[in-house]
Amino acid sequence: MGSRNQILEKIKSNKPELLDLPNIDISLFEENLDLIKEFTKKVEVVGGNIVTANSNEDIIHQIEKIFPDSKVKFSNLENTQSFNTINLATLHKPHDLENLDLLVLESKLAVAENGSIWVSDNEIPVRVLPFIVQHLVLVLSAKDIVPYMHQAYDKLSNLDSDFGVFIAGPSKTADIEQSLVIGAHGALSLTIFLKE
Amino acid sequence: MSHSKLASIFNKDEKRVDWHDKALWFVRHKRDKSVHNVKGWEELRNLGHGIKAHMLSNLDNYLIQFEENAKKNGVEVHWAANDEEHNKLIVDILKENNAKKIVKSKSMLTEECHLNPFLEANDIEVIDTDLGERIVQLAKERPSHIVLPAIHKNRHEVDELFQEHLGTKPCDGDPQYLTGEARKHLREKFISADAAITGVNFAIAETGGFVVCTNEGNADMGAHLAPVHIACMGVEKIIPKQEHLGVFLRLLARSATGQPITTYSSHFKKPRKGTKMHIIIVDNGRSEQLSRPDFRASLHCIRCGACMNTCPIYRRSGGHSYDATIPGPIGSILSPGKDLKKYSTLPFASTLCGSCSDVCPVKIDIHSQLYKWRQIITKETPQPFIKKQSMKAMGKIFANPSQFEIVGKIARWSLRNLPKAVINSKPNAWGKARDLPLGPKQSFDEWFKERENEKKS
Repeated sequence: MGSRNQILEKIKSNKPELLDLPNIDISLFEENLDLIKEFTKKVEVVGGNIVTANSNEDIIHQIEKIFPDSKVKFSNLENTQSFNTINLATLHKPHDLENLDLLVLESKLAVAENGSIWVSDNEIPVRVLPFIVQHLVLVLSAKDIVPYMHQAYDKLSNLDSDFGVFIAGPSKTADIEQSLVIGAHGALSLTIFLKE
Repeated sequence: MSHSKLASIFNKDEKRVDWHDKALWFVRHKRDKSVHNVKGWEELRNLGHGIKAHMLSNLDNYLIQFEENAKKNGVEVHWAANDEEHNKLIVDILKENNAKKIVKSKSMLTEECHLNPFLEANDIEVIDTDLGERIVQLAKERPSHIVLPAIHKNRHEVDELFQEHLGTKPCDGDPQYLTGEARKHLREKFISADAAITGVNFAIAETGGFVVCTNEGNADMGAHLAPVHIACMGVEKIIPKQEHLGVFLRLLARSATGQPITTYSSHFKKPRKGTKMHIIIVDNGRSEQLSRPDFRASLHCIRCGACMNTCPIYRRSGGHSYDATIPGPIGSILSPGKDLKKYSTLPFASTLCGSCSDVCPVKIDIHSQLYKWRQIITKETPQPFIKKQSMKAMGKIFANPSQFEIVGKIARWSLRNLPKAVINSKPNAWGKARDLPLGPKQSFDEWFKERENEKKS
């Protein structure tokens, strides 16, 4: 227990009188965004690439062109088993994924205002995958883009998951003299396939 | 040492000060560009303020709700009244799990608690994994900025540090090469870590989950590989509901760096199979700050660093001049609440221009609080004799218009006629490293009266 009760008591006696919790009025922010246009613009701002595609086959075909040298690959798209070079069922520990070159995940939610894409335990078979992989590919339907974070959380309230992450672009840092370097600890690149 | 003394050390390297000033102003500029594109930005700030103020007014109940839900999620919850208890709890968890090698992502709280030296004293290796924090760790320094920990270092210093500690080749400070080498070096650390420690950006009472934001992906690389994840949070990190993340995630990165959102906003709720997740809830002076009506809004802070980037004093004096875990304007209103004597000079490290309050995403009245701390400090801590006497004298002069006029005349004449050696002599603090303007012939009062007379005629 440690100091639980002592801390709670102190807060209780030191806190101010109860203040109202403000309501979030989403209409204040509404500006009728062209969702695909805004999303595409913001993906570029955060350092991602965006490509359009018709079908999963088309996507796999394009991926093999964009990343001809990748050896270790995994995809959770339907009907793409032949693409996979690893079997996650026989994986002992996540550390063995260190050499993963390419990961393809499907997502059901993206946000136009910041170019971010939600993936969760429902889509990621092993949590470290989208971070440890060299090149991340996310597949998205245009209809799953929402304008702002408010609508994203509205959708997420029905999509319970044990872990989930908004990913916006590849990992990056500017910690050395403020020069932006793409590829810090997570993925070196992010490619998004947008299905109309 | 006082802020001004420490600042004068930083100011010895003029080129570095200029670079530091411009680099941070550029970040402030990126913030402006980014927030001006958000419709309803001011309403968003109002919401951020209102949600945090409400949270503080019901904090004990939200903490209880958070604990209950986190436990349901299979997370162990611990409470620490102070830094000592926080550090001890962590070492106990690590020992229980036989953990000897730890990776840590950015957490200003663990800095505040001086966790690293405590772990090292217990024979536990702790590696800071945020690139900027790794740089200052190798240099045996502390972060000088809460978002850009190594902003005070130039690329050549990083080059030399990496050559010495990571065995890199000399590269004339090439950031691309150095970051690549750090990636390799830290991957090894991630793979072999026994436990991962992260901070917490937001903890949600309603779900028992918490959110950690990074650009580098280091928090996730640590937490998803190690068998034990310990997340450390101050009591004020609580937000009531998940939907409030919509407000705070829109505010945070835009205010910090001008990005629309950080690369990774990771939502942790349950530990992954076969692993353990711990949350440590820390008070360490926060409940005390909550008791001070004039200063409790400082607990709204979401640690974006915007007040530092905009502050004319911070940009020219460097983060280390504050000698505190959180530097800059927000640090200067938090620190005196912890140790009034030690931090008595910080609220004076400000021009009270108010720019910090203008950019604060949760509308903390930072500059008013700086002013209020000054009132308390002047009463409760001894002030230099010269300052006290000159303040008294000035108070008298300002209260008497005819005296004020005479003194003004003398001052204007002196600035025009006395030699520079006299004007910039030691007793005049305003003449230190600064040329004073030439004294105008007229006072404002004289100019104004003349103008009014001309109008009439």
